[in-house]
Amino acid sequence: MGLNIVVLDPSHGGVDLGARGTEGIHESEVVLQFSDQLKRALEGQGFQVITTREGNDNPSFDDRSARANAQRGAVFVTLHIGSTGLPGTVRTYVMPDFPPSDDVSGLIPWDRAQAPFTELSRKLGGLVQAELSKRFKGSPPSAQTAPVRQLRTTAAPAIAVEVASVSVENRAELDRMIPGVAEAIARGVAAFRPSYILPAMPGTTSGPGGPP
Amino acid sequence: MNWSWRTWLVLVLLVAVVSAALYFPALRRQVDKAKDLTEKTAEQARRELLPPAPVNSGEPKVQAKMYWGSKSEAGQVVPIVVELPLSNDPVLRAKQILNTLLAGPVDPEARTLPADAALLAFYLLPDGTAVGDFSEAIATSIPSGIESEQLAVDSITRTLAANVPQVQRLKILIHGQEVDTLAGHLDLTQPFQVSMNGVAEPRSGVSVITAPIGKAIEKVRDATKR
Repeated sequence: MGLNIVVLDPSHGGVDLGARGTEGIHESEVVLQFSDQLKRALEGQGFQVITTREGNDNPSFDDRSARANAQRGAVFVTLHIGSTGLPGTVRTYVMPDFPPSDDVSGLIPWDRAQAPFTELSRKLGGLVQAELSKRFKGSPPSAQTAPVRQLRTTAAPAIAVEVASVSVENRAELDRMIPGVAEAIARGVAAFRPSYILPAMPGTTSGPGGPP
Repeated sequence: MNWSWRTWLVLVLLVAVVSAALYFPALRRQVDKAKDLTEKTAEQARRELLPPAPVNSGEPKVQAKMYWGSKSEAGQVVPIVVELPLSNDPVLRAKQILNTLLAGPVDPEARTLPADAALLAFYLLPDGTAVGDFSEAIATSIPSGIESEQLAVDSITRTLAANVPQVQRLKILIHGQEVDTLAGHLDLTQPFQVSMNGVAEPRSGVSVITAPIGKAIEKVRDATKR
């Protein structure tokens, strides 16, 4: 099975506003708009898109991961607007490698769901960040590693994208960035499609996305 | 006889009323004081109970390497060398180092942790796993975001790695509790690896603070007085 689904996660929501700028910009609100733009860009690349929220609600980290973990042939992209960083730049984050596990049950614990996918996530993150750094000067050329809570429990190639920042003086600055960020991510995900060969999972011979 | 009994009763009642009138203001002061005490947060009370990690000027001064924010590269930490009198005991030394980190650099723009955050407790297990318990301000006052939260944790883990080699891993608690994230992004459910492996020194090299040493030590003292 190839890659055909992208699970988009507009972070925060509900009472959790996320990062808050002095000009009244809320991360939870901007990422919804960001998610809409990215959904259209990904659909334009032929992907089916599932979102973890569409309104002002706040699913738990685990509920959001569960949306991705229930899919076959999916990648996961969680969207953020930071409080810091050089305005106008974008960073992609992937989970660092997990320490070895002494679990001999053959099952993957929920809090290590990302462990088999870190290499694929790095590949996906690298391709997405390469596109972003072309469009947004000052952005790092490669993906960074950070233990982002949302990524830990996601059993799919998964990245977090953070735009800088809610501290811009005018919301219009962020609004102008979003179409370009969406287009760059969609291109990066499309470039990742040929690399989407899922790792073998415990108890299977070909991985969850492979033939039975 | 009957008249005398009544007189005594009136006198006793009069004394009771006068005593109550005299005692009432003192009682009120005590109630107000008790109210003030209960209005203090549990955290404040705990901080008052915890003995600070003393900086003993009698300890030999060592060159401590503190990782604060880089002014030239956003989201990166850089080492600054500060001469501090540090204990040889790893737990005490870790407390002194973390209090210095929390007190902040001479340049406030290079700060990586909120100014109002405090270290409440620090433990070191025999396997090298350390537990650092920070006040709630470390989560509520830090700018929310992956980059800013990663910068804070990087500065803590790298500073511990550079100065307290006994610490191999660090579990961060907030006000004695295990929490999901630092401020909505960075995962605190698992311990962080504390290691100098793969830590690249900045291109400009290590900055050494010489002149403001006294000021830095003063800040450590202030921090440990909390």
